[in-house]
Amino acid sequence: MEKTIKREINYPYLTKPVEIYERENGHKIVLAHKEGGLVNVSSWVKTGSINENDENNGISHFLEHLMFKGTHKHKAGYFDKTLEAKGAIVNAATWKDYTFYYVTLPKGNDCEYLKQAIELHADMMLDPVIPEDEIGPAFTLGDDTVSQKRERHVVIEEIRMRQDQPWTKIYNSTNFNMYTKHPYKRDVIGFPQTIASIPRETILDYYKTHYTPNNITTVIAGDFDHNEILELVCKEFDFKDRANFENLKHELDTPVDEPKYIELKGKINTGFAITGWLGPVAKDMKENIALEIVNVILGEGQSSRLYQNLIEKAADPVFNIVTTDFYNFKDGGNFFVQANYKADKKEQALELIKTELTNFLNGDMTEREFNKAKKKLKARFAESAETVSDIAENIGYYMTVCDDLDLVEQYSQELENITMDDVNKIANRYLALNHSVTTVLLPE
Amino acid sequence: MEKIILDNNIPLVLKENKNTPRHALCFYFKITEPEKKAGVYTLLNRLFLQGTKKRDAHTLAQELDENAIDCYSEMKQDFIRFKLQCLNEDFEKGLEILSDVIENSTMEDFEKEVIKLKGEIQAELDEPKTMAMNAFYSNIFKNHPYGHTYTNILRDIDTITKNDVMNAYHVLLEKSPKVISLVGDFNGENVQELLKKYFANIKNNQDCKINNEVANLEKAEIVKVTKDDASQAQIIQGWRVPTIFDKDYAPIMVMNTLLGSSGLSSRLFLELRDKKGLAYVVRSSYEIYDHSALFTVYIATEPKNIKTSLEGFKIELDKVKQIPVSETELENAKNNLLGKRQFFSETNLQQASLMAYYEDKGLGADFEQEFNKMVKAVSVEDIKRVANTYITDKYVLTVLAPQQYLKEI
Repeated sequence: MEKTIKREINYPYLTKPVEIYERENGHKIVLAHKEGGLVNVSSWVKTGSINENDENNGISHFLEHLMFKGTHKHKAGYFDKTLEAKGAIVNAATWKDYTFYYVTLPKGNDCEYLKQAIELHADMMLDPVIPEDEIGPAFTLGDDTVSQKRERHVVIEEIRMRQDQPWTKIYNSTNFNMYTKHPYKRDVIGFPQTIASIPRETILDYYKTHYTPNNITTVIAGDFDHNEILELVCKEFDFKDRANFENLKHELDTPVDEPKYIELKGKINTGFAITGWLGPVAKDMKENIALEIVNVILGEGQSSRLYQNLIEKAADPVFNIVTTDFYNFKDGGNFFVQANYKADKKEQALELIKTELTNFLNGDMTEREFNKAKKKLKARFAESAETVSDIAENIGYYMTVCDDLDLVEQYSQELENITMDDVNKIANRYLALNHSVTTVLLPE
Repeated sequence: MEKIILDNNIPLVLKENKNTPRHALCFYFKITEPEKKAGVYTLLNRLFLQGTKKRDAHTLAQELDENAIDCYSEMKQDFIRFKLQCLNEDFEKGLEILSDVIENSTMEDFEKEVIKLKGEIQAELDEPKTMAMNAFYSNIFKNHPYGHTYTNILRDIDTITKNDVMNAYHVLLEKSPKVISLVGDFNGENVQELLKKYFANIKNNQDCKINNEVANLEKAEIVKVTKDDASQAQIIQGWRVPTIFDKDYAPIMVMNTLLGSSGLSSRLFLELRDKKGLAYVVRSSYEIYDHSALFTVYIATEPKNIKTSLEGFKIELDKVKQIPVSETELENAKNNLLGKRQFFSETNLQQASLMAYYEDKGLGADFEQEFNKMVKAVSVEDIKRVANTYITDKYVLTVLAPQQYLKEI
């Protein structure tokens, strides 16, 4: 059997340690045990908009679509048809730091379906044809004479769908304006004109550059014989002599030094706003946990401050919705306050949010709020250990964005040790109003 | 799986799943008196977590969050259900809060909730897809509570009084047939004692007859919704079809799977998305209610593709009506449908929810086994027959698009 380096990680709420194998070529395989009849097979590639530029923005996501268009062994459609006929959920997703492909299905008698899923998944990951006729001919936007509407048009429809979503519109504007030069500033899906015209060769080159052994982690979660499945994954993921590629390192962006404000208009009836801040790098567990705590306290659920103070206790209604969110990214996460408000009360809405943030940054968090947030974050692990898909997704995230699953163990420890003082200091480090970018969308 | 009748006559269905960290409980209350004003049950549902005789809204939210207990109610067309999910060690605490919410809600925040609901609906209606769906449901279930969508709620909400909601609450507590399901790593006997302790005062009314018939559609109806800045047209076409109690339930489920409910290999996905590049989202669905059901097809596409998309739907629907599906495609669709059921019943909460859903419908909590047999028995002829019987010229078609593109429909 092929030589691999094995490590074990104690993953909360799983009955056995998670096993990580690193092959000589750098490809990583993670096996997680979860009782039950379902299994999940996924591969995580370290590429997304982080590796894109103005010329190819959207290529990672477009490639993700095209990976389903057949291999030298199997024509387009075979993968979906074969696995879905066994009850599989088959899909993929692209984000800033990663692209991942997954199959969740019943494992079958003697893991027969699982084995077939691994074979087909590996074939798709390593040998995509990306045929010209499936991509469809390049065209100029607005040209109604295009007869062969294929995947380029599907992705352009996905872009159109997002253009009609008010939240997406203001998220993209805030995100773009939060960065000066980091590739995270671009929308992962890209622009219609790029998708309409990007040549097949460029997509193939991108695939060859980024889908390398050291950039891929394959995760299998479920109840199966680990030795047998490890051997099968090594056999099927035969990278031959594919060269490795080290992703470019990007300089971390610095936040804006005075509040930035963008106003958009649309045919809507209510007002939308998103305020965003740059946050800590994903590997810094303590800082990420601190902002996750702030997120729970300020804007998660009905007991949160923003909901209680700005909706429940409001004498004169201003807000329809007000929440917060925190995303973790390799080169720095994002913290957001999201609000929907009465269209004529924009000034008041923004002022009220500002006051709530200022109060928090001035250190008025209570011990009760702090303990609630810690308990909620602990329970999240129990939640994410309930399905093979969530387990695999969490593992994939740590392996790809944080480069290491050890941080799962560290997370529990850091969560135990963090103090209110830590949270206050870290919140002030990242969430100062001067470092914020706000986009509002108002009725025309 | 085990079924017990509690002392208060409420059926309790239980399933033990060892080594799972969280208990999941569902408590179903069937709606026995359909609302006359759109929004009464929506308000009741929202007011359930807005304060009890013991806890005000803030205390309630805080106590749940401090214990990481998920406890909420959901309103569907035929029932209101409570869902409780928490770490095993917090289960009794969760039960105590849930029983307080069910029995002692005060509805004191009625006026505030009316304002909040109106605001949230207005925000939702700024999404074109929600606007289109709203128009579709209010027309396919015209003059019926199933059609009480957002705009109907906005129409009626100012005529609803706190008394209307209190009456609906009392009817729900006193007259409604009820079901409880529980899934988790528990000891059966202890759990029964706990449920008796916390739910002893809630009475069941199993024999209640509900009159909520839905009149048939008599013709095709086209509903146009103008949204001049929409990048995509939203198209929904739907037919009334038999529901879960009918012999044609399983054949329609299989037809829906092979047409477009599920995955990348369905006909609508392959033909309208992969081959014609018309859309990112295209699908069919089969929605079940107690007194009716809908089969729908949906696509979001560039407005100039509306005609091509409607023709595409017609071609695919005509194919199912005219050409027998192959045995292989039929088998694939059945296996797809049955295999995916595992995915949708993986967590304790999903299992508890499904068990209570079937029990509430009078099908038995273990109906899934019966459903398996029904699906396996579906034939090529069944698919052709249900397609011809139910996909007829009596439908509602809703199209949202900029004005200039609506003229041609």
